[in-house]
Amino acid sequence: MAVMRQSRPGRISGGRSSAWLPALVALLSLLMLPWGRTDRSLLEFDGKLLVLSQAPGLGVLLLAGLAVLVVASLLHLPLVQRGYALVGLGSAGFLAGVGWLVTTGVPFGVGALLALSALLVLIGVGLSESGIIQNDPFVTSSILISSLFVLLFIVYPLFTVLRESIWIKGVFTLSKVQSVLGSPLFISIENPYTPQSEQFRVALTTLALGLVGAVLAARGGLRAGRVFAGLGAGLVLGWIVGAGIYGGGALPTSLYLALIVAPITTGLGLVFALLEQRSRAGWVRRSLAIVSLLPLITPPFVFAFALIYWLGRSGIITGDLLGLKSNFLFGINGVAIAQIFAFTPVAFLILRGSVQGLNPAFEEASATLRAQPWPTFQRITWPLLRPGLAAAFLLTIIESLADFGNPMLLGGDRNFLATEVFLALTGRYDPNEAAVYGTVLLGLVLVVFALQRLWLGNTSFVTVTGKPGGGNFSPLPLWLERTLQTVLALWGLAVVLLYFSIFYGSFVQIWGINNSFTFKHYQDLTNLGLPVLLKTAQLAFISAIIATLVGFLIAYLVSRQQFFGRGLLEVGSMLSFATPGTVMGVAYILAFNTGPWLLTGTGIIIVLALVFRNMPAAIRGVISGLSQIDKSLEEASTLLRAPSSTTLRRVLLPLLIPQLLAGMVFSFVRGMTAISQIIFLISPGNALATVLLLRWIEQGDLGRGAAMATVMIFGLLAVILLLFAVSRCFGRGTSLDAAV
Amino acid sequence: MQPGVLSPQNNPAAVSVKLEGVVKKFGKVTAVERVDLELPAGKLVTLLGPSGCGKTTILRMVAGLERPTEGRILFGGEDVTRLPAYLRDITMMFQSYALFPHMNVYQNIAYGLQVTRRPKAEIKERVVQVVQQVGLSGLEDRPVAALSGGQQQRVALARSLVMQPRVLLFDEPLSNLDAKLRKRVREEIRDLQLELGITSLYVTHDQEEAMAISDLVVLMNKGIIEQQGDPRTLYTRPISRFAADFIGRANFFEGRYHGGYVEVAGYRQPYRQEGISGQVTVMVRPEALRIQPSGEGLEATVHQVSFLGSTTEFSLDTPVGRLEGVVAGDAPELPGRGERVKVQFAPQGMFLLPA
Ligand SMILES: Nc1ncnc2c1ncn2[C@@H]1O[C@H](COP(=O)(O)OP(=O)(O)OP(=O)(O)O)[C@@H](O)[C@H]1O
Ligand SMILES: [Mg+2]
Repeated sequence: MAVMRQSRPGRISGGRSSAWLPALVALLSLLMLPWGRTDRSLLEFDGKLLVLSQAPGLGVLLLAGLAVLVVASLLHLPLVQRGYALVGLGSAGFLAGVGWLVTTGVPFGVGALLALSALLVLIGVGLSESGIIQNDPFVTSSILISSLFVLLFIVYPLFTVLRESIWIKGVFTLSKVQSVLGSPLFISIENPYTPQSEQFRVALTTLALGLVGAVLAARGGLRAGRVFAGLGAGLVLGWIVGAGIYGGGALPTSLYLALIVAPITTGLGLVFALLEQRSRAGWVRRSLAIVSLLPLITPPFVFAFALIYWLGRSGIITGDLLGLKSNFLFGINGVAIAQIFAFTPVAFLILRGSVQGLNPAFEEASATLRAQPWPTFQRITWPLLRPGLAAAFLLTIIESLADFGNPMLLGGDRNFLATEVFLALTGRYDPNEAAVYGTVLLGLVLVVFALQRLWLGNTSFVTVTGKPGGGNFSPLPLWLERTLQTVLALWGLAVVLLYFSIFYGSFVQIWGINNSFTFKHYQDLTNLGLPVLLKTAQLAFISAIIATLVGFLIAYLVSRQQFFGRGLLEVGSMLSFATPGTVMGVAYILAFNTGPWLLTGTGIIIVLALVFRNMPAAIRGVISGLSQIDKSLEEASTLLRAPSSTTLRRVLLPLLIPQLLAGMVFSFVRGMTAISQIIFLISPGNALATVLLLRWIEQGDLGRGAAMATVMIFGLLAVILLLFAVSRCFGRGTSLDAAV
Repeated sequence: MQPGVLSPQNNPAAVSVKLEGVVKKFGKVTAVERVDLELPAGKLVTLLGPSGCGKTTILRMVAGLERPTEGRILFGGEDVTRLPAYLRDITMMFQSYALFPHMNVYQNIAYGLQVTRRPKAEIKERVVQVVQQVGLSGLEDRPVAALSGGQQQRVALARSLVMQPRVLLFDEPLSNLDAKLRKRVREEIRDLQLELGITSLYVTHDQEEAMAISDLVVLMNKGIIEQQGDPRTLYTRPISRFAADFIGRANFFEGRYHGGYVEVAGYRQPYRQEGISGQVTVMVRPEALRIQPSGEGLEATVHQVSFLGSTTEFSLDTPVGRLEGVVAGDAPELPGRGERVKVQFAPQGMFLLPA
């Protein structure tokens, strides 16, 4: 029963090309879909918008070229020569199309979008088939498409921010930069209404801390380099502290705030991490598991909101207990407290990694060498913890600088960089000023990232060790454990009270004035908030799916394929993670408000913003998942004649389902709770839950806001628990830490 | 083993593979230095050499997983240097087997046929066939994680064979098996390869394995081909000390060769070899040492005798250094430690290299 071998074509280096499909797609979308638009809606359709009527010359050229390519792809021709033709004609068409859009400034239509993407795919197929690039057509096309999207939706908007700050009405000028940096909103030290001289005090603080820095540095060895570095660091810190306390303006306030929040948050994170590892009490572990969930289910400024109930002008503690009508909460104090509550769980998650990297064997070894506990800590534990602490510290600084919701609610009369970006644009209608603030904020954040690189090098945050080996950690000394447990208990109590106040506030008439029970707020919510909540969930869901799939693709490309510009693609796609949300928001407004890439006012731009903001987390999750999968699986699949698209779908996708699922849920949750970037992008019909919540709280509709927050918290909690249940079914853990 | 779908004795699909001036650099590291190599159609060729000499790199270039920095690769005369891996019609057995962990045995084997869109009925028939051929019948529904190492190996082999590849590649396929299983599986691989007539390239650093299964052995060293030939030639006519040392065991010492004699420390051993004379390095295989209590021969003192079961090994101290020897079986007639003896060399176990 011999089955004959399949007859093979004599030469496999010729034949049909898969380019016919993209060529056909491009052809049809040019023929049938609008090339340009006249207004914001992408769904507009009108015969006059077809490329043949809008740009007849371009249209005929493109259509003719594409028709040739479709036919050529379907014939049996030598691969290499046809590949070159595909690259040549494809690039010419792509450049002509983009060139037309850029020079005329006509907003692109659906047809142009599809046709240009299909042309890129075509170029990719050509690059592969000609052998110019070794990757297969699918990979090459994916590289081109994802590079285009990263360029268009991450790099180009950021570039626009920089441009708008120095390029005003078509002229290069530094006048805007000067006027913004010189304005009292940015820095103001001297207050003319006080008798004393603030400038003098700031100078004094600066000098004092500079001196302290120099002395501390000198203790480690009297070398000029060290001493000057210490002096410099001290002077900078001194100025920040001095200007933060005695002066005002966005720059000193934001920096001073970050300097207060970062050490406290990092310290609390360390306390929790140590307790989790070494505490003997069961309740400690259980409550810490909940702590690690908090940042996922809490909309960003909910703590700030709850703090108003407790410490606001008629708050329980300030008003009822102490009988004050105090503005204590509104200003740096309140923002700092709210940020500490919001960021501590994140610091905990980072430090948990590095505490788990500690190996009990080190401590045991040290103990057997008769070292006392304190020297052991100083010489063994501390150096190993330091990278994690630095990472947590710097990340908290970045988060604090970038935070938008808390300063918005509790900032009082202080100015903050992140909110100033927003206020300049929407309050003072000055896009150039917003761009300058954005550039400053972005610059600061990049400096912190650079510091992190400098301090930590390329080492990962977690110390590299093998498996957590045997051996037991020496328990903490009893007094220490008691102290740490007290800290945790107090923190837990505060969090419970804060959550409870939101919950309670959603059921009473007017908090503190009329405490009678009511469903009124939920009724209001059903009428006013429900459509918005559903719309938000819809946009977040769509963006989560796209972010996960695109993230999966990019992760695969950068970690499994070799190609020119791989590092750039990786950095580019991660850039949106480093960029503060408000900067990205103003960047999107500036980049997509007019011209060929007009997108503002649509739901699409919100989806895009969320996709590119949440994608880095998905990318990291998938990359860590891929590192567990042996590369030979993919090579085996390739040699079994699967093109890489098939390998991706049939081998990698099933193996990465837990990571992808986690990535998707976290993208969704982040999408639901995002505020800083999308507050710039909302439009009538595309209102979002967090923005509405912020507005209600600002207007004083606290009860309604509380109802909204309650619904969101429970909704997100349900989603997360569902994820845990599902991933338990898969029997593999979720990559929770990786995604946070 | 029943001959089946994969039976043609002289596989018409088998192609010869040719590497012409192939160079591979990874950045500054040169992994392969300029290799010319031909695999005749239907033969099994082994790449043998120490770790890091570039064997895997050559294999991966043939597969299309790496692209040569310079040079060409031809399949049956057709230049495939730029042809992507998934179009080359080649399969490979990986050291780690690379079985898909989320699929069962059947799905693993059928994978390649499925992705190339073969009809369902044909897939089933071919998979059943090959499953029998490699002796996995009855295990089709097992998850691959629930198989022993040897069984996983067979799944990997079946998955490659079912594609009826033009060339079959092996990258140290046996290194995860224990010694006994290794011998059995390598014999099975060779049987199947001979039966199916598939052109095969086999990488190993185990010289015994290479000798056992190859039509042609290619010995590599530091990115270049040191010597190639059939196993017997390589063993009896090594062209360098490295080759002699890597393939089998050997003793080396200095001597002079002229007029049909090799002169070693005053002893004249009759021997003939073309194209060499004067000062030479003498290579003698251990089994070529002949000991006698007296008479002609190199002066020697017995240093040690160890009985190993099927062989007995001994070592001798001579004026040219210590020599290792071996005889088959138990050899009670061998002189004991410290005795003075004469040693001669059997010419078929000798070879002269330029000094
Ligand atoms: N992807 C790569 N990048 C850089 N260098 C590489 C790469 N792959 C191989 N090399 C280097 O090329 C040389 C040859 O490697 P190769 O894997 O071919 O050796 P090998 O003969 O298969 O060794 P082994 O027996 O240990 O498997 C080595 O020095 C190796 O370090
Ligand atoms: Mg190798």
